[in-house]
Amino acid sequence: MSDLSAPGFPEEEVRQRARAGAAAAFPPPGEYGRVLFGADRADPYRDGERDPLDTLRITPPVFMPQRLARLIDLGREPDYRDVELATPVGGFTSALPVYVSALGSTRAAGGDLGLALSRQAGSLGLPMVIGENVVPVNGYGRLGEAADRALLGRLRAYTEELPDGRGGVVVQQSTEDADAEVWNLVYSDPAALPLLESGRLAFELKTGQGAKPGLGGMTVLDAETAGRLGDRYGIDDVFGDGRVLRSSTPGTFTAEILRQQVRLMRNNFPRARVWVKLHPGRDVAEAARVAAEAGADAVTVDGAEGGTGWAPGAFPAQVGLPLAECLRRITAAGPPPCLLVSGRIWEGGRAVKSLALGARAVGLGRAALLATAEDPEAGLVRFTECLALELRMLISALGKYAPSALDRDDVWSPEFPVIPAGE
Amino acid sequence: MTTDGPTAPAPLPDPGRHLTAPATRSALRIQHRLLAAAREFLREQGFTELLPPVIGPVTDPGSRGSKQVDVDFYGHRYKLMTSAILYKQASLLAFDKIFCVAPNVRLEPLETAGTSRHLAEFHQLDVEVAGASRDDAVRLVEELVVHMVDSVVRELPKDFAELGRDVGAFTELLKGSFGRMRHADAVAELRGLGHPQSPDAELDWAGEALLSAQRDRPFFVTDYPKGSRGFYDREHPEQPGLLRNFDLIAAEGYGELCSGSQRTNDYAEIVTRMRETGENPQKYRWYLDLVREGVPGSAGFGIGVERLTRYVAGLDAVWQASAFPKLAGVVSP
Repeated sequence: MSDLSAPGFPEEEVRQRARAGAAAAFPPPGEYGRVLFGADRADPYRDGERDPLDTLRITPPVFMPQRLARLIDLGREPDYRDVELATPVGGFTSALPVYVSALGSTRAAGGDLGLALSRQAGSLGLPMVIGENVVPVNGYGRLGEAADRALLGRLRAYTEELPDGRGGVVVQQSTEDADAEVWNLVYSDPAALPLLESGRLAFELKTGQGAKPGLGGMTVLDAETAGRLGDRYGIDDVFGDGRVLRSSTPGTFTAEILRQQVRLMRNNFPRARVWVKLHPGRDVAEAARVAAEAGADAVTVDGAEGGTGWAPGAFPAQVGLPLAECLRRITAAGPPPCLLVSGRIWEGGRAVKSLALGARAVGLGRAALLATAEDPEAGLVRFTECLALELRMLISALGKYAPSALDRDDVWSPEFPVIPAGE
Repeated sequence: MTTDGPTAPAPLPDPGRHLTAPATRSALRIQHRLLAAAREFLREQGFTELLPPVIGPVTDPGSRGSKQVDVDFYGHRYKLMTSAILYKQASLLAFDKIFCVAPNVRLEPLETAGTSRHLAEFHQLDVEVAGASRDDAVRLVEELVVHMVDSVVRELPKDFAELGRDVGAFTELLKGSFGRMRHADAVAELRGLGHPQSPDAELDWAGEALLSAQRDRPFFVTDYPKGSRGFYDREHPEQPGLLRNFDLIAAEGYGELCSGSQRTNDYAEIVTRMRETGENPQKYRWYLDLVREGVPGSAGFGIGVERLTRYVAGLDAVWQASAFPKLAGVVSP
């Protein structure tokens, strides 16, 4: 059991799902026939309502031509179990329109938890992003660093469980990682060869993050660890108690810098996929377009929500576009071929809304970590079973049978201007 | 999925057998003569030979997909040289025309073990000329290669016979006048041949071999796009996005022999280009300080010594042109 918690995030609901699996998609079965149910103002599905995504409603129509098509195809009435969730995600195939996005060098994502998460994500066939700074901070694992913290340990744990034809590993590199040549290291490592040869290795260029748009990665370190990393990172003694703030630089980007970096990745690593991660910046649509035109296989937008690292208090509540607004701007400008989003995704509704607004898949960050923390053996697996059930029910309720069939007609909001307002 | 050629690693013979084989001796004699001829030629032209450093706080990042080797230098992370480029530019503060025979180590991707043309440790004949343009460098390479091949063909007929290499293969080469084509034209030709070459990337290995197989003498490919090369290649002032650089590619399918360019020596442009190539300018401190103070504009190139030997000697694989070959992922002396 870890000491992980996530205030402001529906932590207990996520942990419940990690314990109970698909059953947690419903109220406790013992209440059936005895408790009458209805929308609850305090229910966790509406937690916070900080993001316009939360205020959207999913709106099934009465007439469902796509259900008729599925009926004809099957020769029987379709139900939610007929929804096919497998989805192409950034050059990979995922078992569902979901990937795992929370594995940096931070304490929360480190150690056994990082390994347990890697193992479960692998067994589920979900693409997994290994975050920035793991190599400069924790090492690679080839020359004797503790395997549980190092990148190689996570890569192996994931690959050992991975079913054929599913999933893939995405390795981030930040400005400081460039010094450690993380991509070059992985690209030439025997442990990564099976992924490379089966087309299941990607590199993600990180231009920013949702928790603190415009800033680089941050962690809190004890003074001794900080001393070891001192010449590679900005170390700031803001806490005055022996612990220090370690900051990565966010990196400088212009359209030309982004374009050329993506091209260089394709040039230097022709057998790896290229992902680009954007923070929810006001020019997110332009950045997504530049990345896609330069040849990125996926563009990820990290909503202004939270994370596994550290951020100044002023940021999460006040900085960055809401995820729904990012999606609106990107789809209005012509979306990239594969748009991925993350940001407080933990249940099917928020996921389906994101997909309806143009995302191909959603990333699990804190939810994946908490589910794994609840049960390192099978917490994420059970959590994902519950999410898959919800996705199937919600998508089939819309008269559709694949995530890719969702569109903007499937959601409604009085405040969200571009959504057709229930005409 | 893109593939970069065969992936089966080539077997290496044990060092005793390799070093005593008549073919190895002939190949190494040809290499020795090629280098001797290059030194004669360059000294004649007023070049000074320098001894290149082996380690430094930073090295050339512009090598496709390969990993640098870290060295613990009294607690500081140093690198084995992947190329001498940064030192070549700096050396022009001492002399206007310099050359060196520089050892390079690049931990190439594993699939290169079977390409017949990659070594993890190799040597470059590195040349840099202050005040020169890209076209000056192209002319110099051409004259240099003609001189080297002419010398070796005249002086080592027995070794060519031992290797079964018909020196008639160099009849066209020895006339000079290597062909020139722009990268965009090479892409168009490859696509015409049914090869899916990306217009934004370096020519892939299979594509290079394909073009090479169509030619009877070496040829230059010029004007590579940004995003395919290191930050030090100068961008065309009138054609943004294209670089004033070149590769020399051998005939008969032997592929690339040499890369070169006119260099960027403008501080702000170098910092910007570093970002475009994903580099952290902070680690290039000594180099950037020097550039800020001013280094001469220049052009230069590096000829792969083992690759040139392989081509001239007509060897199946580049490792045969090394006394102690190192292939990606293969443990050897």
